[in-house]
Amino acid sequence: MLGRFRHGYVAPAALLVAGLLYAPFLWTAYLSLTRYDGLEPPTWIGLRNFTKLFDDPALLTSTRNTLIWVVGTMVLPVGLGLLVAVLSYDLRGGAWYRLPFMLPYALSGAGLAMVWSPILSHGGIANLMLGVDTAFLQDAPANTVAMLLVWTWQQLGVNTLLFVVGLQSIPKDPIEAARLDGASGWRLFRHVIWPLMRPLTAVVVGLALVAGLKTFDIVWVLTQGGPGRNSETLAVTMYKETFVASEYGYGSAVAVMLTVVTGLASYLYLKRQVTAT
Amino acid sequence: MIRRAVLVLLGLVWIGPTYLLLVNAARPAGSYDPGSAWVPSGDFALFENFGRALEGADLTQSLASTALYSAVSPLLGVLVGALAGYTIVVLRLKYGFWWFLLIFGGTIFPSQMLLVPLFVGYSDAGLYDSRLGMILIYTAINVPLAAFVLRNFYSGVAFSIFEAARMDGASTWRIFWRIYLPISASALTAVFILEFTFIWNDLIFGLTLTQTEEVRPVMTAIAGLMTDVYAGTPVPVGLAAGLVVSLPTVVLFLATQRLFARGLSLGSF
Repeated sequence: MLGRFRHGYVAPAALLVAGLLYAPFLWTAYLSLTRYDGLEPPTWIGLRNFTKLFDDPALLTSTRNTLIWVVGTMVLPVGLGLLVAVLSYDLRGGAWYRLPFMLPYALSGAGLAMVWSPILSHGGIANLMLGVDTAFLQDAPANTVAMLLVWTWQQLGVNTLLFVVGLQSIPKDPIEAARLDGASGWRLFRHVIWPLMRPLTAVVVGLALVAGLKTFDIVWVLTQGGPGRNSETLAVTMYKETFVASEYGYGSAVAVMLTVVTGLASYLYLKRQVTAT
Repeated sequence: MIRRAVLVLLGLVWIGPTYLLLVNAARPAGSYDPGSAWVPSGDFALFENFGRALEGADLTQSLASTALYSAVSPLLGVLVGALAGYTIVVLRLKYGFWWFLLIFGGTIFPSQMLLVPLFVGYSDAGLYDSRLGMILIYTAINVPLAAFVLRNFYSGVAFSIFEAARMDGASTWRIFWRIYLPISASALTAVFILEFTFIWNDLIFGLTLTQTEEVRPVMTAIAGLMTDVYAGTPVPVGLAAGLVVSLPTVVLFLATQRLFARGLSLGSF
């Protein structure tokens, strides 16, 4: 009686995952080895999409931009988030000091673009405030850096929150002992708090690494990868090659490359973290 | 003292754009000017602006669709995932760990690896630009996390509960529905909220798998409005739209914050 239903119970989950996640994944892997425009059946061309990847100037640009995103998201939102958390976690009314950083996190990607495009546009608020005459989203790689700052504006709060939770749960004794010994400020942070916070920081940086590699939404809503193709990331290039240029095979190859890079980067990062601790 | 000064200074920089958003979303649509964006207008036109966004970009239907997707898919996903977790842990499914690995493995795929086959497959199957298609993919994406959290949760529940219920003659389905599902309510809610937020904010699946205003989720619709900011949508209207569509996730999160924290810790997440 018991046995009969077991597979029936696990079937909906297995079928949904197999049909809508595994099958498309494998199909994309296959399509990356074909020429395919969505109309004619795919034709096998071996690794030619992948050799094309290395000669494609657009792909070089989007790889560079993705690299900026990865390094930027690992450094800025995480570093500033840690700073705000360390400065505020044991202050009276610390939550109030953190409120300005929490508010932007409530905005969705599209809402984020709504807020920032009037600020960053040519003749927009930032131009008038700084007394300059620049289109911040125009020239590469400055436009990627501008979007990275917008991203930092939004993401800082959640990182701060993670670090505050971490700081409040680390043992109090070593910090008290160090204080009694006269350590304070930078030295207290560097030699007592930081070693205790390292494991959590490693996790937050790891998450930022993966998120940075997959950057899509914010670029899409602010510049759609333009002007021209100069602010594309790999994820945006994949989307455009596939659904704008109808190069399904080539777009799939970009997706495969992105997946391999993400997997490899996560693996190397995890390995380093495991051996370091 | 220096700490507070640094925090306040950085806080002021951070609050600037938020201030601009609030002030200008409430400004009458016609009166926006970048030069005076910092000065409140004295009028409160937020609801008129949002009304205009609803009308102009036809966001009403997109909002209704998004509400449907963000409610139904996580609900289905959580139920399906919980049932899988229950079967693997409590009913001790043979090769249960491998089943779990198969289901949980679904989380590792970047959405870019799914888009082309989903688009082509949906077109062939008549699911392209349909609400059913959107609900299906969003549900599938929710299943791995739900299965993961609930499997962990049920591992911590005493097996004697199950045995006692069997002694009393309850069927495995009844035990799931009447005992295991209710006791895991907090974990279920936590997963539901995470998935609700994910779907509410999703851009890429909406972009790829929908076309018409009735089916297209609101973030994708807003992103479309976005490209029009320069081509005519007044800035206050755009801001009001961005603000109001961001509200539901905030309200839901604040309303369930306590449960959320508890659910996660119980699920040993």
